[in-house]
Amino acid sequence: MSLHEFSYQHWEGRHCGIWRHRWVIAINGLKSCLANRWARNLVIAAWTIAMAAIGILFLIGQLLVPDSIAYEILDQLSQQMRGLFEGLKIWLTERPEISVRVAYNMLFYFFASTLYWFAMISTMLTIPHLISRDLSSRAIIIYSSKAISRFDYFLGKFGTIFGLLSLVWLGPVLAAWLAGNLLAQDWSFFWHSRGALFNALLYVTAAMLVISVLSLGISALSSKPRMAMSYWIVFWLVGDAVGSAASITRSLSISHNLKQISLRIFNLEGEVQLAQEAIPVLNGIIRSPLTSWLETPEIGGALTALVVMLALAIIIMTQRVKPE
Amino acid sequence: MSEAVIETKEFSKIFGSQKALDSVTVKVPPGAVGLLGPNGAGKSTFMKCLLQLIPYTGGSARLLGKEVGKEGREIRRRVGYNPEQDCHVPGMAGCEYVTYCAQLCGIPFQAARQRAHEMLDFVGMGQERYRKIDTYSTGMKQRLKLAQAIVHDPEIVFLDEPTNGLDPKGQAQILDLVQSLWTVHGISVVLSSHLLHDVDRICEQIIIIARGKVLVHDSLARLKARRKGAAEVAVDSRADDLRQAFQKQGWSAEILLNGRVKVEHGSQDLTPLMKLMAAIGISPLEVIPSPNALEEMFVQALKTAQ
Repeated sequence: MSLHEFSYQHWEGRHCGIWRHRWVIAINGLKSCLANRWARNLVIAAWTIAMAAIGILFLIGQLLVPDSIAYEILDQLSQQMRGLFEGLKIWLTERPEISVRVAYNMLFYFFASTLYWFAMISTMLTIPHLISRDLSSRAIIIYSSKAISRFDYFLGKFGTIFGLLSLVWLGPVLAAWLAGNLLAQDWSFFWHSRGALFNALLYVTAAMLVISVLSLGISALSSKPRMAMSYWIVFWLVGDAVGSAASITRSLSISHNLKQISLRIFNLEGEVQLAQEAIPVLNGIIRSPLTSWLETPEIGGALTALVVMLALAIIIMTQRVKPE
Repeated sequence: MSEAVIETKEFSKIFGSQKALDSVTVKVPPGAVGLLGPNGAGKSTFMKCLLQLIPYTGGSARLLGKEVGKEGREIRRRVGYNPEQDCHVPGMAGCEYVTYCAQLCGIPFQAARQRAHEMLDFVGMGQERYRKIDTYSTGMKQRLKLAQAIVHDPEIVFLDEPTNGLDPKGQAQILDLVQSLWTVHGISVVLSSHLLHDVDRICEQIIIIARGKVLVHDSLARLKARRKGAAEVAVDSRADDLRQAFQKQGWSAEILLNGRVKVEHGSQDLTPLMKLMAAIGISPLEVIPSPNALEEMFVQALKTAQ
């Protein structure tokens, strides 16, 4: 009997549950994505922005401290900005429940909207690692021969992209809220800013879900990883360009559609109105720079367009991801 | 005979207008099974349908007692598959890949890693297991495919042309490993190949498929018994004397290119042959009864099918 005949041992351990299988696929994919230097840099950049957001929240909290360094910084700002912060200070002192709510809501709207671009770029870098490379290397045959279904495979891959988006989008948003409140003068900030957290989580999670499914569909479009990446760029940037060309094509733009959802969730119009009612002096200061964002969201059209996009992505996935 | 590992009834697969599997009905007991057939006969389709890699279009099948098409995940947990094509998860080292495959079958990470190394030892891979798979030679990839197919300790393993692209030494090593899976470790093997020699060497049962139909399904011993009456004799010298002695007996004999003497003696056993060789003072190095029985059976089956 040769040596190799002794080296095989039967395995008698206990098998893990199906969620563990999906987790393994997700984590393996995430490791593969983060092996890309650009993806890692993007994660670092997103967290740097989170630090900046934490800094702004810290400054807002410092307005309640009479001898704070925040006032020295404010002194160096323009007359209009000084006026804004002076008003904010009065506002924070007199109506903290409204002032904190509105300030956090606005900040998190801008913060989440900024990180949207990071999410789209990181998705672009990740697209080849999702399904495309498995198609080109025929790894689909290996996956299909193991104790997982196609649904498990998709769920695992969904976990990969959702995990990466969490690192560049959801994580920084959560961290900014938590650290901003921890550094605030008053613990009541946690309570007053709960609405902003909820809005940010709702928008970011919904957008991440949409982007994740769409990226899986586009990744499944081609077995050539670079081609899949090109498809994503076309879908995103060309879609945005076409969408901005005319009102009838607006729904072709994923950025436009997701913006409508964020406007609806954060309800900036309502927040500004609330601020004006609480402190009438802020009327002109707040409204003028926000005019461009105070459009009424076209939520119906955006939702319909996103549902159609998602349906197409799911059809592409199920048609393309087959062992043969 | 113990319970069948594969049982199909009118099992069919149609691609467009072509019947890739035409009402296949077989009952295969545990063991080493050779799936023979020319290219495009339906061997791989049969395997893939059983593994549910592609959907079948008619009939029914049971694998390890479980109904194919209804208990996919459970079946695949107990089954290994070594595909014909070169396929792997890109960007991984060999040991990472086999560990990952074990985890996909539900083995926890620590155990998966340990088992991956055991399997890589088993298939004869050394330090190259730490290199990226993309840098592997064909032989290494074949070994890796075998390792991933058995890493989760399946009860039956399907091997689709496992010796493709290997040099003779590599082929022999892989066939040794495959043979030991059943003979030593009790793992049933379904070996699909168009190389009759591979199947002849390690399989106990033979299924010959052509044009999607099962032409022959029997044990190799019984198939060879039908072809008794011929032998190949290896001698170190006097091959021509031996040929002449056989011909004097009225047997058809010829010297093959490999120096062996092929004779058709027409008897049920080798006794007359051995007696004649003893009488003329020739000691054979090796006597192979029923040589090429499988090949002849295969050719005959194909002719019948046509």
